Amino acid sequence: MNIPGMPGMGGAAGGGGNLSDQQLQEQKVIKYIQAGMESCAAKTVMAGVAGFALGGMFGLFMSSMRYDTPLSGPLNASNPLNPANTPDISTLPMRQQLRLGLRDMAKTSYSSAKNFGLIGAIFSGTECTIEGFRAKNDLWNGVSAGCLTGGALAVKAGPQAMALGCGGFAAFSAAIDWYMRLPEEERRKNVI
Amino acid sequence: RPQPTSAEKIAAAEIEIEMVSDMFTRLTQSCAKKCIQNDYRESDLNKAESVCLDRCVSKFFEVNLKVSEKMQGEAGRR
Repeated sequence: MNIPGMPGMGGAAGGGGNLSDQQLQEQKVIKYIQAGMESCAAKTVMAGVAGFALGGMFGLFMSSMRYDTPLSGPLNASNPLNPANTPDISTLPMRQQLRLGLRDMAKTSYSSAKNFGLIGAIFSGTECTIEGFRAKNDLWNGVSAGCLTGGALAVKAGPQAMALGCGGFAAFSAAIDWYMRLPEEERRKNVI
Repeated sequence: RPQPTSAEKIAAAEIEIEMVSDMFTRLTQSCAKKCIQNDYRESDLNKAESVCLDRCVSKFFEVNLKVSEKMQGEAGRR
């Protein structure tokens, strides 16, 4: 149909006539995959994985800075639970030192990775859900998601810590979103 | 019952196409005005816009349906 008033339907009808069945099927599958990529679940998973990776690197970096604090375990002479004559870590052979040091780095890195991954997943999931309910795209989505994330992270430390976490994270998210959404230099005109 | 002639069928098809095309134009204009703000930065629809458009199109058709039911009721009464 070559009617200018219906470009959408005309395009679909014309496309159906030119492509084979298999190509139509492939296009449908591609469209479903793309729609799935933009769903809230996929965004949550991706943010969680990215947060995990970032947190891992951050934890690795942080643990490498802590060369002067005693490592956990019975091999520290100043450990009050073990007043026996156990050697300090610096007296161990090099391989043992390396092993203990790497184990400590891995533990710190893993705990930091879990923390960051959880933050990313919860924030992204709640923001996407709130945006889906409100059908509006402004910075209040991020603020509410930040409040919920901060509260969820501090849930074991009581209601005051939850309120503090909510306020802090919401303020942080509001600041970042406000900066990202600053209008460009040029003046905006209305589209329609 | 006399069957409609081909000229009548063509006329009916033309009227239908005009009606459908008019409805499509109204639908896109009103839903775009409602759902798409004028300060966007990317060409893809974000989640809020696509959800809003889904709801807007469904509501438009439901409104259409209800209004046409009422109108048919009115026409039937007269």
